[in-house]
Amino acid sequence: MSAVARLTVRLVVVALAVSFASFSLLSAAPGDPAAAKAGFSATPERVAEIRSELGLDDPFLVRYGDWLAGVVQGNFGTSVLNQQPASKLIGDAMPHTVELMILAQIIALGVAIPAGVYSAQRPNGWFDRLAGAVSFGMLATPPFVLGIYLAFVFAVRLDWLPAVATDLPGLLEDPVENLRQMILPALTLASGMVAIYVRLLRTDLIETLQQDFVLMAQSRGYSRRRVLWRHAFRPSAFSLLTATGLTTAGLLGGALIAETLFAVPGVGRLAVTAIFTEDYDVVMGVVLLLSVAFVVTNFVVDALYTVLDPRVRHGSR
Amino acid sequence: MAVVDAPTSRTGDRAPGFGRPSMGFIFWLSVTWILLVVLAAALADVVPLRDPDALGVRTGEIERFETPGKNAWFGGDGQGRDLFAQVIHGARPAMVLSAAVTSIGGSLGVLVGVVAGYFRGRTDSVIMGVAEIMFAFPAIILLFAVSAVWGMTMAILIPAMAILAVPGYARIVRGVTIALAERDFVDAARAMGASRSRVVIKELLPLVALPAIAFGFLGFGLVIATEGALAFLGLGLEQRTWGSLIAGGQGLIREAPHLALIPATAMFLTIMAFNYVGDGIRELIDPRPIVVGRKRKADGHDPAISAASDALLSIRDLTTSFPTAGGTVTAVDGVSLDVRTGRSVGIVGESGSGKTMLLRSITGAFPVLGVQRTGRVVVDGTDLLTASPAQRSTMLGTEIGIVSQNPLTALNPVRTVGSQLIEVMRVHREISKAAARARAIESLAQVGIPQPDQRVDMYPHQLSGGMRQRVTIALALANEPRLLLADEPTTALDVTIQDQILRLLSALCEQRDMALVLVTHDLQVVRGWTDDVAVMYGGQIVEAGPTAAVFDDPQHQYTQALLASTPRLDLRPHSRLAAIEGQPPSLVAPPPGCRFAARCTIADDRCRAEDPMPVQIRDREFRCWYPGTGKVT
Ligand code: SF4
Repeated sequence: MSAVARLTVRLVVVALAVSFASFSLLSAAPGDPAAAKAGFSATPERVAEIRSELGLDDPFLVRYGDWLAGVVQGNFGTSVLNQQPASKLIGDAMPHTVELMILAQIIALGVAIPAGVYSAQRPNGWFDRLAGAVSFGMLATPPFVLGIYLAFVFAVRLDWLPAVATDLPGLLEDPVENLRQMILPALTLASGMVAIYVRLLRTDLIETLQQDFVLMAQSRGYSRRRVLWRHAFRPSAFSLLTATGLTTAGLLGGALIAETLFAVPGVGRLAVTAIFTEDYDVVMGVVLLLSVAFVVTNFVVDALYTVLDPRVRHGSR
Repeated sequence: MAVVDAPTSRTGDRAPGFGRPSMGFIFWLSVTWILLVVLAAALADVVPLRDPDALGVRTGEIERFETPGKNAWFGGDGQGRDLFAQVIHGARPAMVLSAAVTSIGGSLGVLVGVVAGYFRGRTDSVIMGVAEIMFAFPAIILLFAVSAVWGMTMAILIPAMAILAVPGYARIVRGVTIALAERDFVDAARAMGASRSRVVIKELLPLVALPAIAFGFLGFGLVIATEGALAFLGLGLEQRTWGSLIAGGQGLIREAPHLALIPATAMFLTIMAFNYVGDGIRELIDPRPIVVGRKRKADGHDPAISAASDALLSIRDLTTSFPTAGGTVTAVDGVSLDVRTGRSVGIVGESGSGKTMLLRSITGAFPVLGVQRTGRVVVDGTDLLTASPAQRSTMLGTEIGIVSQNPLTALNPVRTVGSQLIEVMRVHREISKAAARARAIESLAQVGIPQPDQRVDMYPHQLSGGMRQRVTIALALANEPRLLLADEPTTALDVTIQDQILRLLSALCEQRDMALVLVTHDLQVVRGWTDDVAVMYGGQIVEAGPTAAVFDDPQHQYTQALLASTPRLDLRPHSRLAAIEGQPPSLVAPPPGCRFAARCTIADDRCRAEDPMPVQIRDREFRCWYPGTGKVT
C-alpha cells in the first residue's frame, strides 16, 4: 500500500471513530441546543419547532448520518450563536492556532537544542545542573500558572507586551503587532516542551557521545564542536523529531489554555466558547479538525523521518 | 565491548557515598511543604481562620482588593474576602482529588503493569496498545469534554482522571516487572510450584511498589495541575480550589495581581515539592553515577622526552581510572611501552585486562565519563596528556590513525562514506572539496574496495562488515599517519575476511613505514602479524618482548598458561573452554601482590604479599617472582 493510501485509511478511521465518540458524548449532554438557539424568550412551541428543524427529534444514528453526509459535502453545520457556517468560524480561527503552535515549537526547539547539547557535553557540570533545575521547574509549572506569571511580568509590570490578543492582526498584514501579541501565548505553550526536549536530547546525546563512531571522530582530532554537531547531534536529532510528533497531542491541550488565557481568537478558544454555549456543530467541527490534524502531523513527522534518516530511507527497500 | 569487568550498577546496589540521590536540604524542604499543605487541607476548619466566605466589605475587616499585609496576609478579593483563608481551604479539594486519583489510578496501573510485564505475549501487546492510544490523546481535552457534558463533581472527576492515570503507572511498572521477572528468585518461586498469580502477588508486587510510589508523587503534582487547568477553563470543581481562585483572579491581574499570583504560587510550590520528592525517591532506586573529571592544560612539548627515546610512541607510567557505582576502576595501572617507527606491537590479554583502555588512553576518547589519566603518552615528542587542545587535535588527526573494534558501529550511520573521508582530510589540511573527493575515491581503491566511485556516496549500512572495516582503515590512513592503532580490528568479522583485513593492514604498514599497535585477544594474530608483543593482565603489562622470543620461551606464568591453553581468550571465564581457570582480578581494589596469584598454579605467600618487580633482560621484560619453568631455589 502506498504511503498516501495508508494515510487516507488512517485518516478516515480516526476521523470516524473520534467524531462518532464525540457525537455520542454530545448527544448525551443535558443541555438543549434548540433552546439555546431559540433564545431566552422563546415559547415552548417555538423551541419544538426549531428542534424538528434541526432534526433533533430523529434517532441518534440518523442524526450522526446526517451530520456525516453534511461533512462529506463540505457542510459542517451552522453556529447557533451567530448563524455563520461552522466551517467559516473554524477557518478563521485556524491560522492563529497553527501560527501559535508553530511559534511555540520554534521557541521550544530554539531553546532546547543548545541547552540540551551543552548539558550533554559536560554532564553534571554547572550548565547541566542549571538546565536540569530550570527544566525541572518548567515541568512543575502548569501552563496557566506560567501564563499568569508571564502576563504579570511582561504585560503588567514592564508593560512591554499586550496581555490579551483580542484584536490580533494576521501575521502577513502586520507581522510586528501579530508577533507582539503572540509571543506570550507562544512562550506559555513552549515552556513544557522545552523541558521535555532538553531532557530527551541530553539523555540521547550523552548516550550518542559514548558511541563508537563519536569516539572515533574524537580520536581523529576533530574539535569538540565538530564532534558534537556534525557527528553526535545528527542521529540524536531524529529522536527529537519523533518527540515533536508526540508532543502534538499535548500541544493541542496546551493551546486550549494559552488561547483562553491570552484571548487568542484561535480554535481552542472557539471550542471552549462553543462548549459553553452548546454550539455543537462548531464543537464537532473542531473535534474533527483536531483529530485530522493529529493524524496528519504524525504522518508528516514519520515521512520527514524517512526522508531525513538514511538508515530508514534505505532500510525500507 | 571489552572495557573492564567493572561491577555494573543494578537496581538496589549502591556503594556508600556514591551515586546517592540528592536527599539534601531541598528534599526535606519539599517534604515539609507537602506536610504543611496536607495539614492545611485537614485542619482548615479547625484552625482559627477568618471565614473564607465572609465579605470583608460588609464586616469592615478587609477592604476591597486589600493588598497583602499585616491585616490580611494574602490580601483580600473584590468583596474583601480573606485570600489567606481561601487558599488554605482551597488546599483540601486539591489534596482529596490527588489522593483519590493517585491511589485508585495508581493501584489499577500497578496491577495492569505487573500483569502485562509478567505474562508478556498477547496480554502485554493488547494492554500496551490501549495505553499507547490513551497516551496519544490529549487528556485535558478529554476531561474538558467530560466535564462539559456531565458537569464537574468529585464523583465524576475522580474516576475520569484515575482512568487517564492508569497507562502512566502501567508503563513504568511493566518495565520494572519485565526486569524482575527474569531474576532468579522469581524462577525459584515458580520452580517451587507457586502458581503464576501467586508469584505476581507475593514476589513481584512488593518490589514494584517503590517505583510506583515515586511515580505517584509525580502523578500527584500532575493531578493538581490538571484540576487547575480545568478550573481555569471554567469547568473546575464546584468547590473552591486553587484553580478556581487563579481563574477568578486572572482577569484582575492589573488591578489586584495578588489574587491570581498567590494561589498560583501555592500551586506551583506544591507541584514542585511533589515532583522533587518523587524524583528523590526515583533516584534512590536508580542512582546515577556522579561524574568527576578535570583536565589539565599545559604545553605538551617536552624536549627531554624526545631526546631520551627514539620511540615514535612512548608510554610511561600510564594510569587510567574512572569512577563507577562500585568504586574507582583502575583499568590501566602504571603501564610503560615503547613503539618504534615501522614496528608492529601486539597487545594481548583477556577481556577486562585493560588492553582496550590502554589504546583508548592514547587518543583520550572514552566511552565512560570522568576518566582520569596520569603518566605520559608521548607521540613524536609531544605528550598527549598535557598538550593543548590544538596540538592534540593535530597530532591525532595527522600522526595517529585509529581502526576500531567494530566496523558496524565505528562509522557515522547518517553520513555517507565519502563525506566522512572528505571531512577528515579537510579538517586537518588545506585541500579543496573536489580534490578531497578524488582522494577519497582513490583511498577507497587502495584499501581494496571495488567500484570506489559508487561506494563513496553510500551510507555505512549499505556496505558489508568487511567493506566497512576497509572504510575505517581508509579513514585512519587519510592523512598519512605514522602510527596506526587498531583495536581488535577483526573480531567482528568472519574468518575469511579477518585474514584479508590483517593482510591489508600489514601491507599498508610496510608500504608507508607505519608503526602499528594491534590490540587483540587472539594469540594466533599476534604470532602471525606482529614484531613485538605485550601481554596485559589486570591492568598491567606482565610480559613484553619480541613476539618470537616470547612465544618460544615465555617467562611470566600467565603467558605460559595462555600459550599452553586454547588460543581463544574471548571466551567467558569459567566456561569449559576458557583459557585459564578462575576470573581476572577486580580492578576496583586489586589484591596485593601479584595480580595473577589467585589463578597461578605455583603461587606462594611471597606472590600473594609482594608485587613482583619488573625485570628487564635485554629486550625482554616481565614481572613474576618465579619466571620461566618455575621455582629453582
Ligand atoms: S609472581 Fe607468583 S603468582 Fe605471579 S605469576 Fe609469578 S609465580 Fe605466579
